[in-house]
Amino acid sequence: MKERIHKDVVIIGAGMAGLTAALYCGRMNLDTLVLENGLIGGQIANAVAIENYPGFVSVNGGDLIATVQKQAETFGAVIDEFDEIEKVTLKTSPKIIETQEKIYEADAVIIASGMNRRKLPLPEEKKFAGRGVHYCELCDGHAYDGKVIAVAGGGNAAVDAANFLTKYATKLYLIHRSQFRADEVSQKRLRANDKVTIMLQTDIKALRGDKKLKEVEVFDKTTGETKTLAIDGIFVNIGVEPNTKLFKDELTLTASGRIPASEDCRTELAGVFAAGDVREKEVRQLTTAAADGTTAALLAEKYLAKLKVAI
Amino acid sequence: MVKVYTTATCPYCAKVKRFLKSKDVEFEELDIEKDPAAREACKKLTGIDWAVPVTTIDNEHYVIDYDKEALEELLCL
Repeated sequence: MKERIHKDVVIIGAGMAGLTAALYCGRMNLDTLVLENGLIGGQIANAVAIENYPGFVSVNGGDLIATVQKQAETFGAVIDEFDEIEKVTLKTSPKIIETQEKIYEADAVIIASGMNRRKLPLPEEKKFAGRGVHYCELCDGHAYDGKVIAVAGGGNAAVDAANFLTKYATKLYLIHRSQFRADEVSQKRLRANDKVTIMLQTDIKALRGDKKLKEVEVFDKTTGETKTLAIDGIFVNIGVEPNTKLFKDELTLTASGRIPASEDCRTELAGVFAAGDVREKEVRQLTTAAADGTTAALLAEKYLAKLKVAI
Repeated sequence: MVKVYTTATCPYCAKVKRFLKSKDVEFEELDIEKDPAAREACKKLTGIDWAVPVTTIDNEHYVIDYDKEALEELLCL
């Protein structure tokens, strides 16, 4: 039988929003637990150099998140990155979060579950995953030292990955189905590199190889031309999707799968807050994730104070 | 002895190491970026030129990536 444990606040997700919420909750002496099924740090755990977070000229994502984690833990928040959540019940009071090993009863829940990386939507993806198709340039980039690399995607993550991988590549193709969405500074850096060929308005149609990836077939939507590029590996950064599967029976989700909540991070359920990229909003940056985490924690504390008075 | 093939910058490698420590599993870490012999051994084990993290207990059975269930099965946790 699973042990039942009460917590003032359970935070789901240990990205920037979740850890900032944990830091604030900890400082308010709330009994706080953070549950993370994936990587602590979420999307920024893979970021090589973050240049748009105030206070740092340039900071490695792993280093930044380790500092925020330390801050949260210093103030008493507990982070569990190994006990995976199986089910949540949010309409009750207290809310129930059942993990593989325990059942947590929480008076307030902050959902900061972030986003998951999209896989390359091609039938050959599985065949070449780890054998030429990669999703982590920090893990696998070095394997392509002196090789030809492609990067799929046109957002900040893709362009930053491409800039990082130029240190290994003899030739790098940036392939994106539409126009750039990345910051101008990152685009400019990539364009200035002689090794790089940028292919916008270009779809990836097929991956080819025997045991290992050797070629990609691409279709230039502007010229109508199909080309085959000889490459050794491709790093995929084609966007993210909200990590909200756990909550679909508990909360109304938007068409994009995110949680509707206004700037105060309050959801339709009392005591349940949504923070960071998982919240439906127009701007999703590291800074706004930290801001959401702050707001959600402070308003969760207010909610808990009222709850105690009511009891 | 459990072996974990890693690189210094790989966040999933760090998670596997934290998981093993949380279960009090002693392990030897081999950085395939710095150690060509380790890279070759990892390639021989998995058939993949570059894969991290890879955890093995007997140089025969292994788990690629952080996969909690698979690691628990491999290490009989």
